[in-house]
Amino acid sequence: MSGCLRETQVETYMHLIEQGSNIIYLVSDSVSTSKIKPFMEKYPDRVVNSGIAEQNLMGMAAGLANAGFIPVTGNATPFLISRSNEQLKVDISYSNSNVKVNGMHAGFSYGTDGCTHHEVNDISVLRGFPNFEIYSPCDPAECTKITEYSVLHRTGPVYISLNSGNFQIITPENHLFTPGKPVQFAEGKDITIIALGTAVHDVLDAARQWATLYTADIFSLSSIRPLQTDALTDSIKKTGRVLTVEQHSTHGGAGSIVAELIADKGLDAKLKRLGVPEGQYTRNWSAPDNKIFFGLDAAGIRKVVDLMCST
Amino acid sequence: MTGNELKEKSNEIKKLVITMTAKGKGGHVGTSLSEADILAALFFHTMNFDYQDPDRDRFVLSKGHGSESLYCTLALKGTFPVSELNNYLTHDSFLTIHPTRHVPGVEINTGALGHGFSIAVGMALGARKSLKNWRTFVLTGDGELEEGSNWEAAMAASFYKLGNLTVIVDNNRLQLADFISKIMEIEPLDKKFEAFGFDVYKVAGNDPQAISDCLDSLDYSGTKPHCILAQTTKGSGVSFMENIAEWHHRVPTIDEAEKAIKELSK
Repeated sequence: MSGCLRETQVETYMHLIEQGSNIIYLVSDSVSTSKIKPFMEKYPDRVVNSGIAEQNLMGMAAGLANAGFIPVTGNATPFLISRSNEQLKVDISYSNSNVKVNGMHAGFSYGTDGCTHHEVNDISVLRGFPNFEIYSPCDPAECTKITEYSVLHRTGPVYISLNSGNFQIITPENHLFTPGKPVQFAEGKDITIIALGTAVHDVLDAARQWATLYTADIFSLSSIRPLQTDALTDSIKKTGRVLTVEQHSTHGGAGSIVAELIADKGLDAKLKRLGVPEGQYTRNWSAPDNKIFFGLDAAGIRKVVDLMCST
Repeated sequence: MTGNELKEKSNEIKKLVITMTAKGKGGHVGTSLSEADILAALFFHTMNFDYQDPDRDRFVLSKGHGSESLYCTLALKGTFPVSELNNYLTHDSFLTIHPTRHVPGVEINTGALGHGFSIAVGMALGARKSLKNWRTFVLTGDGELEEGSNWEAAMAASFYKLGNLTVIVDNNRLQLADFISKIMEIEPLDKKFEAFGFDVYKVAGNDPQAISDCLDSLDYSGTKPHCILAQTTKGSGVSFMENIAEWHHRVPTIDEAEKAIKELSK
């Protein structure tokens, strides 16, 4: 089974309303980005469209939380992160408002719309804002579980980064989502691979290519904050080689998190970070072409793993 | 409260502001004195304010640097002891230069300008969507309206027909550096708010009776948001602070504080 994270999430919100959650959905004009048309049809009174005004959207969300609602926001992550940055900081994070913020089209999902529409710093920026829990689901099933958790079990700010596309469900049916716990998809001894959210799909494709040449511990970093580091630390100690893979800047995302972990714990490991290198813009190309350019497709990942495992 | 009683209350707030800023050696005296009469009218006459009641009226201090007057008002309302004002700006006190939700009675953290109006729109919209009758009041500076986000909020307030929302502009015509007209003119505010769909009133802003009378006259169940352009004087009540930009955040010395309190006690 496969699905779109955004569509799955909207279905989850509708289900949560049926169960009694006091959700109100804020969007800034682009209802196609948010995939909320079914929600709008069923719950028109629970949609607030701010128009093309992201600062006001986020301020209103804080006010609606004060009024007793559970506001969820869904708009294009580049404009969310940059345009409403100070509202995210002051009105949501610093004020500890119970708002669930969803970053749509993270990474280079917008493809040929180009750099103005790409967002490869959302995790980095949100890591600078305390009180936010930060997630990047790897498949639709995990997206549902994280979304349910954010509404039912977390009072306070949550950010969920949603990459676009159709993703196979790769987490097992009995997978229990635990905030902070990386999801492990394979066990091995040669290398540890840590992928940010959906980037794990390309890692698993690459692993199929190298078949029995190497064995790898493969993790999805779906929880960025909180983060339980024990499983990652044990794996890195075992393999001594770590590769991070992310549709995000290597500066502030998964690559930084793992580099910090290695430094903080004093681990003896070789680290290679695949992502958008620090100081670079993405290309104004399609998402698959960007993936190839930055070595984030299965072939690019395979190439780096070959190099790392040969030394 | 009668007009005279409200004026006594605002004078009490102003004197406490002078004492706490002089003692704490920080804050924004001029802007706090400018707004004290507005806060006296709101908290001691207009608002249904029991800060633990979910159906209380909401107040947002968008001009967060005017925190001292708000703290003194809340202390006089009894949300925390007046003696706590003596701890202003000490490390263990919740009374910081810009207000946070750690202060009993403060709804939301402010301090960065151009945020409170949108938050207040969200509150008012929440009340309407919940079919509640509580009202939302937001106090902005006039210089603060140079921030574009305010006008996004104004658009939304009138689009959502929020008659339960009142924006009060502390219209003292001074911003940090100088008179607004010399930095980036924001007038004519009446025409601007009218064009954005507001019901606009110009009121003597350092007269609590005039403010409370105006607030009493508004239709909070209607479809037009309200704007009160409170014609205030920055540093109001202290002759040597009035209309002088320097007093935006100059801290009074002990001698200046005594002189100011003497003037406010007349």
